[in-house]
Amino acid sequence: MSDLADLSLVEAADAVRRGEVRAVELLAALWANLEAANPKLNATIWLDRAGAEAAAQAADRAVRNKAKLGPLHGVPMAHKDMYYQAGRLSTCGSAIRRDWHPATTATVIERMAAAGAYVFGGLNMAEFAQNPTGHNRTFGDCHNPWNPPYITGGSSSGSGVSVAARYNYAALGSDTGGSIRLPASACGVTGIKPTQTRVSRYGVMPLSFTCDNVGPLCRTAQDCARIMTVIAGRDPRDPTSADVPVPDYEAALDGDLRGLRVGVPATWFLDGADEPVVAALRRATDVLKARGAAVREIELPLMDAVAAYGGVISRAEGATIHAQWMRDRPQDYGGSISGRMYPAYAIPAVYYVEALSRRGPILKAFADAVFSEVDVLATPTVRTCLPTLAETDIDHGPAGTEHRFLAVSANTRPFNYLGLPAVSLPCGFDPNGCPIGLQIAGRPFAEARILRVADAYQRDTDWHLRRPPVLAAHVDGKPARVGISLA
Amino acid sequence: MDPFLAEIEQTIARWHGIVAPNEPGRRMAADLITIIRAFEAQRGALAFEDEPCSFEAALLQTMER
Repeated sequence: MSDLADLSLVEAADAVRRGEVRAVELLAALWANLEAANPKLNATIWLDRAGAEAAAQAADRAVRNKAKLGPLHGVPMAHKDMYYQAGRLSTCGSAIRRDWHPATTATVIERMAAAGAYVFGGLNMAEFAQNPTGHNRTFGDCHNPWNPPYITGGSSSGSGVSVAARYNYAALGSDTGGSIRLPASACGVTGIKPTQTRVSRYGVMPLSFTCDNVGPLCRTAQDCARIMTVIAGRDPRDPTSADVPVPDYEAALDGDLRGLRVGVPATWFLDGADEPVVAALRRATDVLKARGAAVREIELPLMDAVAAYGGVISRAEGATIHAQWMRDRPQDYGGSISGRMYPAYAIPAVYYVEALSRRGPILKAFADAVFSEVDVLATPTVRTCLPTLAETDIDHGPAGTEHRFLAVSANTRPFNYLGLPAVSLPCGFDPNGCPIGLQIAGRPFAEARILRVADAYQRDTDWHLRRPPVLAAHVDGKPARVGISLA
Repeated sequence: MDPFLAEIEQTIARWHGIVAPNEPGRRMAADLITIIRAFEAQRGALAFEDEPCSFEAALLQTMER
């Protein structure tokens, strides 16, 4: 195992740009971990080592030639296998698209390439981004790097696993009901779902036109900030993307939380929560207090409406997109996927339009009530200790398994309906050795603020530095980066 | 068969030409009753003028400044 794989994205990119590390060395370090850990975790669908080596060599030539270098220069990445690259495989985690090669390239992939990153593979994911656990019938289930029988969170399962297990510096995920934040939480990494409309979705497999979001999973909040600065902003090819200026998110990370008002929901987000999760949340807010934040309980309005409407929109839109395949080739879906989509065909159009119509008024009422009192909300990302893959296997489990399955995303779905930005970062471990996630949410376009909170927390804690035991060379649970020298 | 589920299955087949793919699909279809109850609890909350396009406006009205 090489220490270079333990560098954060920012450290790795900056080291390459300064000429302290060669891009080919970063790739080799990641590949060593990939070969050691991936057979146990199953986080990848396809890999292009030859293409990656050529890209790394080109990146090193650019450094030697003193070319203009972008903020992600020479950094290898793999992404959830639903980000289209013209001519390259994009399975969407499905049997139906097992051999599909799109003709277009996603805007976010182009923007990251322009910043110097390159892609070495496609990552495992829930079939068509439709489960919160990491199950996949076609490519095999993804396994938690901290305790393999447990779920990885989904749907960006391979994104969370590969970043946690140190064979990826950062990965794009997508989040329609929690699919970035859940694997971030379950795998012990940092992931941000931006404000709805903040990041272009052009060239990204759709699940729900209304609730889909693109965002990164990384080791640190600073890494997320760097990627957000690269990918956010208006895209003429995605007419739903907002024309709102993009700040330098990384520059906003000053560690200063003085005067920040943090609200901890008194109810709903903690209903039925497991004690280790509640205790981890309490300890996390104590860290924020020590940095100068004022923490208080807050009652959240309209949560029953948010819960009622939030589940209808994405299900109806997903069912619409998949209707022809559900008619023609239902056997090509995993049972949990077709089974979940099936009821959505009975949701009345009037319900769907009601859910859409109240979304704006509810957001306004929620934001006015909540963000006049606090600046950010702090909740657990997942209310309970993580379940196992077996406990959430709808295809093979007993009746009622679907309730355990759906409960995983109870705390993430509301922010998709509300369109608010939310970041998940590690804040402890449950009794089974699986990570616990802290979710920080803010008002629309408050990505800089929530990343500032997450970064401040990570300045005083080391959860995000810990290596999972699947990397056998570091099984002591101590921070991995002590003593690393790039010289 | 549960009359509610039978009605759902008939509706989906008639309107979409899709049949229940498996037992979990049937179980989750039977669970649609929870959505109906959740929407019942919201009756009267939709204002006459509310329209879907107000969401993007609300994002901008309530954004971080």
